[in-house]
Amino acid sequence: MANSSKPVPAGAGIGLRSAHHEALVRERPAVGWIEVHTENYFHDGGPHLAALERAREAYPLSLHGVGMGLGSVEPLDRSHVARVARAIARFEPALVSEHACWGSHGGEHFNDLLPLPYTDEAVEHLAERVAQVQDLLGRQILIENLSCYLSYSSSRLTEWEFLAAVVERSGCGLLLDVNNAYVNSVNVGLDARAFIDGLPAGAVQELHLAGHTRRQVGKRTILLDDHGSRVPELVWRLYEHALRRFGPVPTLIEWDTNLPELCVLADEAARAQTRMEDVRGLAA
Amino acid sequence: MASLLEVQARFAAALRGERGLAEADVTDGGIEAAARLAIYCNNARAMFEGALERTYPVLRRRVGEDYFRQLAHGYRERFPSRSGDLHWIGEHFARYLAQTEAETGYAWLAELAELEWACESAFVAEREPSVEPQALAGLAPQDLGLARLRLQPSLHCVASNYPVLEVWRANQPDADGHAVDLARGGQCILVSCGTDGLELVGVSAAALAFTRHLQAGVPLETAVDESGLDLAELPGVLGMLFSHGLVTGVTGPAMESDSR
Repeated sequence: MANSSKPVPAGAGIGLRSAHHEALVRERPAVGWIEVHTENYFHDGGPHLAALERAREAYPLSLHGVGMGLGSVEPLDRSHVARVARAIARFEPALVSEHACWGSHGGEHFNDLLPLPYTDEAVEHLAERVAQVQDLLGRQILIENLSCYLSYSSSRLTEWEFLAAVVERSGCGLLLDVNNAYVNSVNVGLDARAFIDGLPAGAVQELHLAGHTRRQVGKRTILLDDHGSRVPELVWRLYEHALRRFGPVPTLIEWDTNLPELCVLADEAARAQTRMEDVRGLAA
Repeated sequence: MASLLEVQARFAAALRGERGLAEADVTDGGIEAAARLAIYCNNARAMFEGALERTYPVLRRRVGEDYFRQLAHGYRERFPSRSGDLHWIGEHFARYLAQTEAETGYAWLAELAELEWACESAFVAEREPSVEPQALAGLAPQDLGLARLRLQPSLHCVASNYPVLEVWRANQPDADGHAVDLARGGQCILVSCGTDGLELVGVSAAALAFTRHLQAGVPLETAVDESGLDLAELPGVLGMLFSHGLVTGVTGPAMESDSR
């Protein structure tokens, strides 16, 4: 399961969206690496593919899938996996990741990251699918914890027990989205620090940071994981906790809605880099 | 305990608007299960509408937010997403509009959608290296009519009954969105994607038919005959195809491989 091209450093990177293609080439921000949504580069050609070809010459690359729906019960969409494989062959990313979610039923795709119940059956199913995809791709993938707006009455495991079991059975790595853990602490009562402490440390190969928005539902607050603002202070604190637990890990600033100038993302990445270096300094 | 299949089936029903099934699978936690599920319903709807809007920005601008949302709702019920890749969500929109808007004052929307889908398809197609007109000069004069031209994979030919190219141009982000007289009649359009982005060229009906024949691998002389292209127009059409980098190969009758 050999990876390729430039390795992603244990530093801060940014999610690259097409609106920033030109600015990235022009400004060459001092970020350690870039990540793109795999599905946006599934095609045969066009300006976006050409832009990513240029970008990967300058930055280590990670491909982050949002459409595979690994936990869906219906058969794996092998054509989708084949397109991921083609993107991997074309761009030679250092990291490839997907989500611990489901996304389709009865042939209909909902194009969302839908939560799984934390049950032994779901562990078995997801681990089997992850292993199948890893075999098809010929490499290890990372799976990311979701942001959730509900929890299932059928869940018998904690989220960290669920993910650890999938890692153990499939041999995949983990992408820990720190913002998602925080969002879940508000939305479904997750103990975010216990979650981080409970993940298998050696498996976490990437961290995500992002902003969220608050919405009132009756008297309660729900956090919407919209990736549309700067990383909130409480998420930074949780990030520092994760760094103390896992050490310096490649960390991505995700920003998908209300997209600001590229320099704002680079500034957020610099903040993550500073925190990483602080933790590294404390450990030295 | 509900199986994973049952949980997903009931959740999917909720996402399709069916109430009362998935709620029992969800822990309340201070917020009603229906309210929690509604967040996912809204997300799925917004994801679909957003993808459709990105593919059809001109149509969205022309009909306005509310009507576009109505169209997206009806389209999603008829043609739900079949892929984890958002690109394909808009694939059948022109067909849907042709079926639902034919008897209304918006019959032209289907043709505008067809043009925008051609743009979307051209934008993500491979671009092959183009050849210069001199590639034709290498052929013996008697072989010229038998030559076949290979065209860019990104090239799409669109014919309409309404002036959709004018509508498209008037509704680009930097254009004023002025009204176009729809009674002006149809247009023939070549859509491709160059290194600087989309290229849309208005051509005559005969030039469009000629180009379609070339795409199908028909020799030059037959393409002229079948399309009804006036010979006087031929140099101009060929010049346009070459100058836009749309010709990627020329094959003479005695040549097995392409001239590049």
